[in-house]
Amino acid sequence: MKQTEISSERNSSTDAQNLEPWTNPTVVGKPLPRVDGYERVSGSAIYPADLILPDMLHAAILRCPHPHAIVKNLNTEAARKSPGVRAIVSSADPEGKLVIPYPWWVPEGPPVLLFDQHCRYQGEEVAALAADTPYQAYDALRLMKVEYEELSHLLHAQDALKPGQPLLHNTGNLVRRPDTYQRGDLAKGFGEADVLVEETYETSCEIHATVETHVAVARWEGEQLTVWVPTQAIYEEQKSLAATLRLPVSSVRVISQYVGGSFGCKAELSKHTLIAALLARKTRRPVKLALSREESFLCAGNRPPNVMCLKAGAKKDGSLTALEFTNLGAVGAYADWADAAGWAAGSYACPNIRTQDTEVYINAGKARAFRGPGAAQSAWALEQMIDMLADKIGMDPVEFRLKNVPATHPRTGEPYTSIELRECLLKGAEAFGWTKARVARASSSDPVKRGVGVASCRWITEGGPPTTVIVTLFPDGSATLNMAAADQGTGTKTIMAMVVAEELGIPLQKIHVEHADTGTTQYGKSGGGSHSVMVYAPAVRAAAADVKRQLLEIAAGELKRPAIELSLKDGKIVPVREPGQPKNLSELKDLTRREQIAGIGHPPPEPKGRLIASFGAQFAEVEVNVHTGEIRVIRLLACHDSGRVMNPLTHESQIFGGMVMGIGFALTEQRVLDDHQTGRMVNANWHDYKIPTAKDVPFDQLCLTIDPKDAECNSAGAKGVGEIGTVPTAPAIANAVYHATGIRVTQAPISPMQMLALLAARREAR
Amino acid sequence: MNEDHDLKRTDDPCSRVSRRGFLESVGVGMTGIAVASNLSAQDAEELTEDAEPKKLSLVINGRKHMLIVEPRTNLLYVLREKLGMTGTKPGCERGECGACTVLIDDKSRYSCLTLAFEADGHDVTTIEGLVHGEKLGVVQQAFLEKDAFQCGYCTPGQIMAAEGLLRSNHDPSDEEIREGMSGNLCRCGAYQHIFKAVRRAAELKKEEGSA
Amino acid sequence: MLPKFSHVRPSSLRQAVQQLASSGSHVHAGGTDLLGCLRDGVFGAEKIVSITGIGELRGINSREDGAVRIGALTTLSEVATSPLIAQNYALLAQAAAAAASPQLRNQGTIGGNLCQRPRCWYFRGDFQCLRKGGDTCFAINGENEFHCVFGGSRCYIVHPSDTAPALVALDARAHIRGPLGMRVVPLGSFFVLPALDLARENVLRSGEIITHISLPPLAPGSISSYRKVRARGSWDFALAGLALALKLTGRRVDWSRVVLSGVAPIPWRSSETEKVLLGRDLNPRTLREAADAATRGAEPLSQNGYKVELVRGIVEESLRAIMESHPETPSERT
Repeated sequence: MKQTEISSERNSSTDAQNLEPWTNPTVVGKPLPRVDGYERVSGSAIYPADLILPDMLHAAILRCPHPHAIVKNLNTEAARKSPGVRAIVSSADPEGKLVIPYPWWVPEGPPVLLFDQHCRYQGEEVAALAADTPYQAYDALRLMKVEYEELSHLLHAQDALKPGQPLLHNTGNLVRRPDTYQRGDLAKGFGEADVLVEETYETSCEIHATVETHVAVARWEGEQLTVWVPTQAIYEEQKSLAATLRLPVSSVRVISQYVGGSFGCKAELSKHTLIAALLARKTRRPVKLALSREESFLCAGNRPPNVMCLKAGAKKDGSLTALEFTNLGAVGAYADWADAAGWAAGSYACPNIRTQDTEVYINAGKARAFRGPGAAQSAWALEQMIDMLADKIGMDPVEFRLKNVPATHPRTGEPYTSIELRECLLKGAEAFGWTKARVARASSSDPVKRGVGVASCRWITEGGPPTTVIVTLFPDGSATLNMAAADQGTGTKTIMAMVVAEELGIPLQKIHVEHADTGTTQYGKSGGGSHSVMVYAPAVRAAAADVKRQLLEIAAGELKRPAIELSLKDGKIVPVREPGQPKNLSELKDLTRREQIAGIGHPPPEPKGRLIASFGAQFAEVEVNVHTGEIRVIRLLACHDSGRVMNPLTHESQIFGGMVMGIGFALTEQRVLDDHQTGRMVNANWHDYKIPTAKDVPFDQLCLTIDPKDAECNSAGAKGVGEIGTVPTAPAIANAVYHATGIRVTQAPISPMQMLALLAARREAR
Repeated sequence: MNEDHDLKRTDDPCSRVSRRGFLESVGVGMTGIAVASNLSAQDAEELTEDAEPKKLSLVINGRKHMLIVEPRTNLLYVLREKLGMTGTKPGCERGECGACTVLIDDKSRYSCLTLAFEADGHDVTTIEGLVHGEKLGVVQQAFLEKDAFQCGYCTPGQIMAAEGLLRSNHDPSDEEIREGMSGNLCRCGAYQHIFKAVRRAAELKKEEGSA
Repeated sequence: MLPKFSHVRPSSLRQAVQQLASSGSHVHAGGTDLLGCLRDGVFGAEKIVSITGIGELRGINSREDGAVRIGALTTLSEVATSPLIAQNYALLAQAAAAAASPQLRNQGTIGGNLCQRPRCWYFRGDFQCLRKGGDTCFAINGENEFHCVFGGSRCYIVHPSDTAPALVALDARAHIRGPLGMRVVPLGSFFVLPALDLARENVLRSGEIITHISLPPLAPGSISSYRKVRARGSWDFALAGLALALKLTGRRVDWSRVVLSGVAPIPWRSSETEKVLLGRDLNPRTLREAADAATRGAEPLSQNGYKVELVRGIVEESLRAIMESHPETPSERT
């Protein structure tokens, strides 16, 4: 997802209120447990996979086992006769030609047919069926007979534009014209440099691997379709489903109250959701379609692999003079983003820069947005490059970064509403004991080498309209918050309920959150780009303020005082001059007569001419056993500027979670394709695709924060936190590995296998 | 893919070797070799042999359930699809994530790799079984307090693993906690808070025990 | 979703053996590996013969002759936490604790751990490989990072078990019951190289079940250890491992067993390393020579050369730890 420099349309909101951020909040900023915590720990939360509807069928999808093939013949006869089978859809049906729209952030791409006879990746959908039980569905699937013509396949971005390679689409293998950005004079910059470094970095394809696989439950009532699907983006899915099925938008209802992890992979319409809807229509029965773990590895998104060539120069005083960053990324078989270079143009103050992003198709599952898309790959390269430069001029890596912290956004020149990157580096380094840790080295005879590393990060976030939120207050002092936002574990529900509690002075327990249902909530931006708090907190606050305004007006009428002489405290009306005589809401007759007060809120537009970004620095300590190649992360410290911390508990969860994901990206995670033979993925399971376990994370994880008291970014004073936590972790670990061993590992992941091979190569070179 | 390449060939040369010859050829000097018994059809009890649904009774959270299920059905499926107890989550159905963890006779197990018929005769405890009325169990309470989850999907499995750990070890060390929780993946990466929650749960259990 | 099969749970060994006589039947002990294979279509089953109802196959006990008997159905957790095993065969307790995950150790059995099928991703995946009756070993020209560097021929699997090398190092024996009776096989000759048989990893024949493992007493004062290196902190098979048992006088090695895991289609006993160690003092030179000996004859494939380094590393590391914890041999000073 290209989020660096996008500027989405900014609707002006007439009734948006310009509230100042709270100065002394009593609820916001407290480490409160989640409002839906009980449901999540008791097992009573109902995720879409848990839904059991009367008469419900279970569907399964037949997928192409080859990375590139033509379906020559499909025989579904035996499957059709298999016990329990109620319906089959395939390319033989008119529905097979339906075209799935790309999500809004992918402006164009080759058409994605529901069942394309030209299969361009392993796992591409060939047919699907619904049966009475999941066992019957899979039994029938085994009876489907397909004749494939296997085509030669393309697996590496580096080969995609060479002559003689298979072409994935009529338009060729180039996704879009390479995106180039330039400022200053590169040659001049390199000329001015005292030191130059050049290096190529590679990242591996990382799979989201959410513990809940993708699931859809579809039910038709007449021409009204309801779909339960875990998603960050109910309105995106609604719009896409309606367009595909040629239904009025109002005829499609998407519900997503519990999401079992997403990280970007559940934010666009997936084929399986459409398939569930089609099978449900064919059978007039509800249909559940849950992808298997293997399917989720093959065709539910990934972080694309990147090859990044960098050249950089710096002066002896540590100032960057020039940076050239060329990236080649493989989006998979259909259009998406695999950018990385462009991010680097906005990271440090460097006068001469040229970046280029080239994205190509390969015969593998399509990429999807993945927590810090592009930024994480970019940081892997750039943050190691910065360390190489610092090393070369003999400067401390923290100091080097401090030298190059930008005052404004280096690409656009726009100032940030707040930027505490410098403080993040300084405070983090101090708390980590950086200077001391940098010098203390293990004895040379000890095979376990210890090292520390640092990396910094930045994430631009946009809040603002369009989004509509409703807060309803009842005379008994309870309230309902109605908003579109899903909560994929980020804590959005809890934080927004806290905003209502803060604004209306009512306890959290009396606030019910109704959310993530296009049938009952108003349009709201999807969760993504780390902007949920920035979009929704100001909107919720505005809605609550609207309630408060109406309430005080009612009270003013009844108490015969001007509204400005009344305040709302602890759910009671308190006259400012006689604070000892509060009035319960239930005593307000007019309120009781009205039964409820509804307030509407929208997020005000973003501040003009200003950018909003979060910043951070992370520090890692590792041990590398040079006899075995084993790498242990023994300490991680994060110091982040995400604006106001709405809830320290969920904030810490976000940062820690990002760091753990970064450990996987740095050390273990890698999609492995059977390179020279079948082109199939050999590790489409959780044993062979290794995400971190409890034994891969350090006990010593610390999260520090810096609140810039940003009054400009929005009325909550909060910036994004969802993605940034994972961006610097992997390069910080790589830098620590270098510090420990003197070996620069440019290719992620730094597995023991790779580490041993590099250690052996160095031994031989000596 | 489905051809049977295992060793149950009828033409296995060894099956033609006499018992005596067989023992001589591969038996290696070890005292105390049991004498083989003669097997005959009448010695064997009647054992039903087909893949069709059969009767099964299971004790789950102290309640007995009578079911009719296919032999291939796993415990996870019975809990969720037959009994509607959807707190136990499917994540991989191949014993690689831990979302489906339940206790069988107080020991944590993956219900996806446990055939329902194998749970016959054992006590099964699920996440629902830790709640008393409306009141959360102590491990659940500790997970809630410490924010030991994000999306919450792996959480029932994590909680059952923690419950299993604490039932066998009342006062686990940090390393034991980490080891005990290493059979449950959390993609949200909540491990740090999970460790805290397990420590807290151990304390709460102690308080509960002494109260 | 698993394909259809029938399931029987006999209550006696005799019934189990009889049930296994029919073709297409498979033994279910812990079931963790079996169900995984059935789900992945590695092989099919018409009938599952569960032996979990046979009480006599459980438990750990010491016998009068000083040997220890471990029932085949004893779980890996029970092996890992048994004081009897920990006191007498530390190596085995460590190996059992290093296997899989807590839940799998609560379910997986020692017998099953020895009989589990290879984890080669071509064998487990949707590839018609040589071991499954196809005509290609995909590892030869494919993704062979995790494959063997010793003992491969035509097929390049590694044996996945952690307890197997430990048991080989301990001179354990497998007690086997089959249609023709009982037999006993030393673990050292239990496993089968691909050169001998491509379709199986051990000598078990149609209808046979391991009933128990017996462990002879280790000489008093022996020390043993299991060191496992894996790509992930837990829940991962060995990239390479070392099962080591030694009898020392001072630092002089009187007897040793050196068995590697994760590097060959069977637990790989390195007699050459044992020869280097025999009668010699543990010192930096011996360590180096032992490590060299352990890697001699390795034939890495295109992506697993690191395993040679790794073997060298763990042999040296483990021996060094033992050396450093033992006083120098008095005679060395002369």
